[in-house]
Amino acid sequence: MADSTQGDPSLAVLKQAFATATQHASMAMCQWTRGSVSLELDRLHTAPLEEAMGLFTDCMDLMVMIVLAVKGTDASQLILSFDESRGRQLAANLLQREVPADAEWTELEKSALMETGNILASAYLNELTRLAGRQLLPAPPVFVQDYGTSVLEQALMVQACVSDEVMISSTRFVFDAKAVDWNVLFLPDAALSQTIQDAIFFRV
Amino acid sequence: MALTTTHAPETKNAQTVGMAQIAIVTDPGVVRTVLGSCIGLLLYHAARKTGALAHIVMAQQAGRTGPPGKFADTAVPWMLQELSAKGAGRAGLTAKITGGAAMFGGSGPIQIGAANLDAVVRLLEEQRIPIVAQHVGGSKGRRVTFDSHTGDVIVEIVGQQPVIL
Repeated sequence: MADSTQGDPSLAVLKQAFATATQHASMAMCQWTRGSVSLELDRLHTAPLEEAMGLFTDCMDLMVMIVLAVKGTDASQLILSFDESRGRQLAANLLQREVPADAEWTELEKSALMETGNILASAYLNELTRLAGRQLLPAPPVFVQDYGTSVLEQALMVQACVSDEVMISSTRFVFDAKAVDWNVLFLPDAALSQTIQDAIFFRV
Repeated sequence: MALTTTHAPETKNAQTVGMAQIAIVTDPGVVRTVLGSCIGLLLYHAARKTGALAHIVMAQQAGRTGPPGKFADTAVPWMLQELSAKGAGRAGLTAKITGGAAMFGGSGPIQIGAANLDAVVRLLEEQRIPIVAQHVGGSKGRRVTFDSHTGDVIVEIVGQQPVIL
């Protein structure tokens, strides 16, 4: 599915806002990971739930995700997702250790990834706070090991209950100068999207 | 109603049933879906070895748009019609239900899974289709595989042994 913003000025405004927020998150991630990780906005999709979920059919296997709700909104969420081995690789990199041989995640590894989610979400939402003129804060991160599509399905359900279409902003990652198959998905609810659009239009 | 535990079958060639989709599966056939708060409803005709697996998102259509599989109240009639067209009449059908989880603790839409489940159970009761197995609720996603030859539904949850319904 192509980016949804072409030909829709209000979505183009939102995409620009999310791109700026992603840039701020990228700077924070670069600092946190000593320059090894950066990110860039990939696409903004608005589509019926069933079509939007069709983008993520490769997530039927086990994924590691950090899920952060946006406080003060009905259903907005930010999800940082990795496959199992790459998530552990990032945790090891942050902790400056080898990837442990034990199959179970240690509390320290989980904590490193949750802190990564916190830093990323805080930088992202700080910039959206500035653009929207409304304070947006991340709730405490939740570490989830589950099938990727089941988590995304649950995260989008509140949007789907009030609207026939859902919105997903997806982000590309670069790790050690290589594009990797990690994802940051920002799922703004309709009210938050409208607030950001209104704030930007009003300012213009 | 879990019977035994096993490993999920080879699913390389399994068709994926996405959100709001319904797969009609004749013998031999294997389909797979992943569920969070959605409901996976299987209607199966053992004599015909034919089944329909729906990935139901919400309880009621209530004027909203979407394919028949999206809502419980449109999915069940559509499944009955399509199965009947394949020679799998309502009298020989049984139902198995999975999904309906409430994930992320308190921050998720806890009531959606339960509402979906209630709607599906009520519709099956109205159609007098017996529910022979269910694996629902909890706080984890489920990967579900249906084999039309055996009628088995294999439910996988991360960190647990798979279960056959």
